Amino acid sequence: MDAYLIPAVDGVAYGLLLAIAAAGLTVAFGAGGVLNLAHGTLIAAGGYVAAATSSGTWPSLAAAVALAAGVGAAGGGVLAAATAALQGRGHLDQALLTFGVALVGADLLTAAYGSDTLRPRLPEVLEATVRIAGHRYPVDRLAVLGVAVAVVAAGYVVLHRTRAGRLIRATVDDRAMVAGIGVNPRLVDAAVLVAAGALAGLAGALTTPILGVGPHTADTALLLSLIIVVCGGLGSVPGALTAALAVGVVQTVGVTSFPALAPYLLIGAMAVVLLARRTSLPAGASA
Amino acid sequence: MSDPRPHLRRRLAALTAAGLLLTGAACTSTATDSGSVRVGLLVSLSGTYAAVGEDMQRGFRLYLDTHDGKLGGRKVDLVVADEGDGPATAVPAAQKLLERDQVVALTGLVGGATVDKVQTLTTQRKVPLLGANARPAFAPVGGKPRDLAYTWHTSYNSDEPGIAIAEYVRAQVGDGQVYAIGPDYQGGYDELRGFTDTFTRLGGKLANPDGKTLFTPFPATENFLPYLNKAAETRPKAVYTFYAGAAAVAFVKQYAQSDLADVPLYAAGFLTEGSVLTAQGSAATGIRNVLNYSPTLANQANQDFVAAWSAAGHPGQPTTFAMASYDAAAVLDRALTAVNGEVSGEKLNAAIGQVGRVVSPRGDWQFDPTEHRPVQRWYLREVRNDGPVLSNVLVQDLTTLPAS
Repeated sequence: MDAYLIPAVDGVAYGLLLAIAAAGLTVAFGAGGVLNLAHGTLIAAGGYVAAATSSGTWPSLAAAVALAAGVGAAGGGVLAAATAALQGRGHLDQALLTFGVALVGADLLTAAYGSDTLRPRLPEVLEATVRIAGHRYPVDRLAVLGVAVAVVAAGYVVLHRTRAGRLIRATVDDRAMVAGIGVNPRLVDAAVLVAAGALAGLAGALTTPILGVGPHTADTALLLSLIIVVCGGLGSVPGALTAALAVGVVQTVGVTSFPALAPYLLIGAMAVVLLARRTSLPAGASA
Repeated sequence: MSDPRPHLRRRLAALTAAGLLLTGAACTSTATDSGSVRVGLLVSLSGTYAAVGEDMQRGFRLYLDTHDGKLGGRKVDLVVADEGDGPATAVPAAQKLLERDQVVALTGLVGGATVDKVQTLTTQRKVPLLGANARPAFAPVGGKPRDLAYTWHTSYNSDEPGIAIAEYVRAQVGDGQVYAIGPDYQGGYDELRGFTDTFTRLGGKLANPDGKTLFTPFPATENFLPYLNKAAETRPKAVYTFYAGAAAVAFVKQYAQSDLADVPLYAAGFLTEGSVLTAQGSAATGIRNVLNYSPTLANQANQDFVAAWSAAGHPGQPTTFAMASYDAAAVLDRALTAVNGEVSGEKLNAAIGQVGRVVSPRGDWQFDPTEHRPVQRWYLREVRNDGPVLSNVLVQDLTTLPAS
């Protein structure tokens, strides 16, 4: 059991990061109906900004996280403005638009930051390691785990205990009713895209100390987020959280337990989840 | 009223024809001018290996710039094309260099897959291919072995670093076992096979549970910690690895954070070569690795090379990629000196076969007469501070490969 402790901690940390990244995507789809294929680009943008800002001091680290979330939110705002014009034209047009934005964004990021993989410089304390149950574990990952837990908890409180959160959930369930109580659902859509962008930027900033950020970050982040959103159920935040934790554990415990299957494990697990869910779909569809 | 447009069209046609004639004339005048030659440099200017491609371009240009822009007394017209991430971009670029630019030699080439495809094009046209990086296994085409008469490399075979360091690692670990880990693609297999085959032949034992190297998905693996902690459970005396580029940075940083942190790490030198070393920072300190070059080699040619590199304003210290490309220019220089009159691919290729000893920053070397790649020394290096910068500092000579 001891052998699985560290990979499990690692998997949970990784899973929570993915949850933050995917939460924005799934809420934007659930509430605004926007399939945002530029989501990965926002994550990469947050990562680049954070890596370039953090210079090894605590103030610069705080500035890096804030800037990354700000850049993500700004990107979300641009996407909200762009997709608002496509309201009612279906997912394909939105997908095409956001995909175009993703391609342009990726090229701009490479032009601005180069094609190398960047990593932020962290304060000395975070670069060290601690011993957990006789194993060495990096402090930066523990810190990321802590922040991720805090963000997920805050997200839960906002979504379930505040008026803004109730409006978002109401928009997912019944847009007409939201309009009926005097709130423009399009405003909610835009706010959700901005918030989703901020979460994406934050996720990018939190990932960079562990994985770095480079030309492939956007594609990888989008792919993993889509897998999580599809497995967790479109628009479902608790589903995304569960799926993200599962993906995190598969990517750490799974790949080392079955190294020969490592390249196929994630997609295999996704196929199993989709097949298992398929059986319960007719009941859901008839409701 | 006559339509004015036919006149216009005729005039346009005449202009076009004149333009074509002029271009044609320009081409023929360059081709017949024995005072100048056109050389093609095909390297990655974009994509995953852009940093390596840039290093190779800098190395070649450094030789030209320190030799009045001439090779063998002839002014060089260097045409650079983008290899991108592999054959999909590299083959059209190579065709353009060979057909439109009519280059007398093609050099550079970052990736093994590119070399494999482009090699058949250059061989058909009897243009020497002087590769300065990857040299693949050249699998037979249509049941026939490859014709390598026009294929040369100033670099090495991918399995040579591992072969060169195996005996040293064997002596260091004594009765202990070594854990082998690398990326899951052809380059990874070659690099690791060179080590594991030689190491086990010398009586060494691998710590890997089934005695087989662990290959991690490439390029998908960014989190090496689970693999490293798993490896630590086998209690190895040392670890041998090969990674390059972004994966090398992630591997080295996370190795220093894993349960393996106190276990000596040996590697093919690409793990800590060039820009990745800056990104790895102090996490790379103490890694012992093997390569055919170190910027701290004491010979005169290397001191001149390193000085010229810094004088040109290039960041950091020169790499094996830049050095091999610099040597490609040196080989062309000597071969072109030996060619009389007009330069053809056939004459140049024959001259390359006769260059003999090449004075190089890596120490003198010569082409193996049948393999067409260097017979050269391999060095053990350790990552340490060399003045203010981290460097792969020379520790000792290892061996000469290919062994005669």
